[in-house]
Amino acid sequence: MKIKATLLVAVLVLFTGCMNDTITQPNTFKGNFEALWKIIDTRYCYLDYKHVNWDSIHTAYVPKVDTVKSEMTFFNLMGNMLTELKDGHVNLYSYFDKSRYWKWFTDYPTNFSSSLITGSRYLGTDYKIAGPFHYGLIANGKVGYIYYESFEDGFADQNISAMMTYFSNCKGLIIDVRNNGGGSLDNSKQLASYFFKVETTTGYIRHKTGDGHSDFSAPVAVKTAASKNIQWQRPVIMLTNRKSYSATNEFVCRMKESPQGIIVGDKSGGGGGLPLSSELPNGWLVRFSSSPMYDAQMQNIEFGIDPDYPVALTAADQANGIDTIIEKAIALIK
Amino acid sequence: MLAKAQSTDDKKYFLSSEANAYSFSTLSFSDPYLSPMTYNGIGIGYSGSVRGFLTEKKLRITSVYKYNFNAGIALNKAYTSDILYLGGNYGWGIEYKLKPFQGLKVQVGGLWDVDLGMKNLERNINNPVNMDLSTNLNLSGLLRYDIPLWHRNFQLQLSFQTPIVGYMFVPRAGASYYEMFELGNLQDAFHFTSIHNKRGLSGDFTIVVPFRRSVWRFGLQLDKLRYKANNMVFDRSNFGLIIGTTMDAIRFGGTKKVVPQNFISPVE
Repeated sequence: MKIKATLLVAVLVLFTGCMNDTITQPNTFKGNFEALWKIIDTRYCYLDYKHVNWDSIHTAYVPKVDTVKSEMTFFNLMGNMLTELKDGHVNLYSYFDKSRYWKWFTDYPTNFSSSLITGSRYLGTDYKIAGPFHYGLIANGKVGYIYYESFEDGFADQNISAMMTYFSNCKGLIIDVRNNGGGSLDNSKQLASYFFKVETTTGYIRHKTGDGHSDFSAPVAVKTAASKNIQWQRPVIMLTNRKSYSATNEFVCRMKESPQGIIVGDKSGGGGGLPLSSELPNGWLVRFSSSPMYDAQMQNIEFGIDPDYPVALTAADQANGIDTIIEKAIALIK
Repeated sequence: MLAKAQSTDDKKYFLSSEANAYSFSTLSFSDPYLSPMTYNGIGIGYSGSVRGFLTEKKLRITSVYKYNFNAGIALNKAYTSDILYLGGNYGWGIEYKLKPFQGLKVQVGGLWDVDLGMKNLERNINNPVNMDLSTNLNLSGLLRYDIPLWHRNFQLQLSFQTPIVGYMFVPRAGASYYEMFELGNLQDAFHFTSIHNKRGLSGDFTIVVPFRRSVWRFGLQLDKLRYKANNMVFDRSNFGLIIGTTMDAIRFGGTKKVVPQNFISPVE
C-alpha cells in the first residue's frame, strides 16, 4: 500500500511539476528599474570580482526612480546606475540614446596618433591595403608594419600571405592594434594562428551558471591553433594602448603566449567579459559582460593586459613626427 | 491441367492516404535565452502526413509519416525588436486502428520525431540566435467521425500529437554559442525530457469536405509547447486556420499498369 502511495505521489509530482513563466516586471519606471537591476544582479559576471555591492546600488537608486518624470531622465538614471560597474561592455540602448562607460580609455593617455603613422617616417600615404590591413615597410625596409583598425573586419589567408611575402626580407613584424576597439573573436583567433607553431592554450573562459554572483562554470581552455598554411617565425611585436579593447584585448592575450610575440606600448583597455544582451519591459536593450575570460595563467583580463615593454608616446617625439612606441618596437626587432 | 491466375478483381491494392495543409496562425514565443519578454506575431506553415499499411497482413496497423515547416515573425510588446522563427519537424510512427462504433474511426499510436527550429533576435549581441533542437517519442492519433450528407461522406477529423519522452538542447542562459560550438563546452546543454519538464499538444480539428473529385479540409490548428531547462521556461504557441486536401494514392511501378479496381485505404 505504501509503495503504491509513494508511486502515486511520485507520478503526481512528475506530471504536475512547476513550469511557470519567469515573473516579468510591468512597463513602468519602477518595473523597468527592477528588471534592469535583476538582469545585472543575476547575469553580470564581475560583481564579486569588482567588489560591487549591487544591493547597495539598488538602495541608492530606487528612491531616485520615484522622482523621475520623463523617459530621458529615467534613461540617464539607469545609465548612471550601470556606470557603477565601470565596464565598457555594459550599455543600455534606447531609441534615443546609448549609455556607456568610457573611462577605461578617456582617463588615460592616448598613446596613438594616426597622423604619425601616415607620416613620412612610417607608412606615408602610399601604403598598401590588404583586406582590413594597412601595411608597408618601415625602418629602411627592415621591419614590416601592419595597422589593423577593427576586429570587426574579417580577412582571408590570401591577405596574410600577400603581406608575409612582402615582408619576407624583414627582420621582424609590427602589428599595431592601438585604437582597435575589438570585434569578432574569430578574427582574433585567426590572426593569432599565424604566429604559433603548435596549438597552444592561450586562455580560459567561464560563464554564469546561476543567479549567484559567483556561480560559474568550470574554466574551459581557449586554444590557439597554428595555421596550417602560413606561419611567421620571426619576432612579432604588438603595439597596444588603452583603446585596444575587447576582442583586441583577447588577441593580445593570445599573442602573449606566442613564441615570438612581444607586447609594447600601454596596458590594453581590457573588456575581458564576453557580453550578452537582454531587454527591459519597455523594449530597451541592455548589454552586459557575461562570461569572464582569463589568460593562460588564469588571471582575469577584464582590466587589461600589461605590456612586456611599457612605452608612452612623448609629446616631444610626436612634435618631431616620431611615434615613440613604434621606435621602441623597431629597436627591439633590430 | 490449367493453372488459373488470380484475377485483378480479386486482389486488394493498398493505398497511402496523403494529407497536405497550409496554415496561417497567430503565434507567441517566450525564449528566456534571447529575452525575458514574450514576443507575439504571425506565422505561416505547411504540414503533411502520409499513412500507409505497415504490412498487408495486419490491416489494423498503419505507419505514419508527418512533417511540417513553419515560419513566423513576432514582436515584443514595445515594438522595438522582433524574433524571426523558422522551424521544421519530421516524424515517423505506428498507429493502431479502432472502430469503437459505427461512424467513428480512431487511430492511435506512437510517433518518434525530430524537431529543429531557429529563433533569431537580430539586435542581440553574442546571443542573437537560439536553436530549438529536440527528439521526442510522442503519443499521436487521429479521430474521424463520418457524417453522411447529400450522398457524400463528410467527416469531422481531429489529429493530435503530444511529447512523452525525449531529449532536447537548451543552453544555459549565460553560455554563448561561441563557447558552446567554438570551444566545445556543451555542459548542461542537452536534457532528458518527459512530462515533468516538457509538455505540449499539437494538432488540428478539421471538417473534411468532399468536393467533386477532391477532398478538402478546413479547420483550426493548435500548437502549444512548454518546456523547462536550466531554470528557464520556454513557451511556443500558435493558433490558426488550416486548409488542405486529402487523397488516397497508390504508387505504380510503371506507366503501363492498369489502374486496379479494388482499393483499401489505411484511413477507412
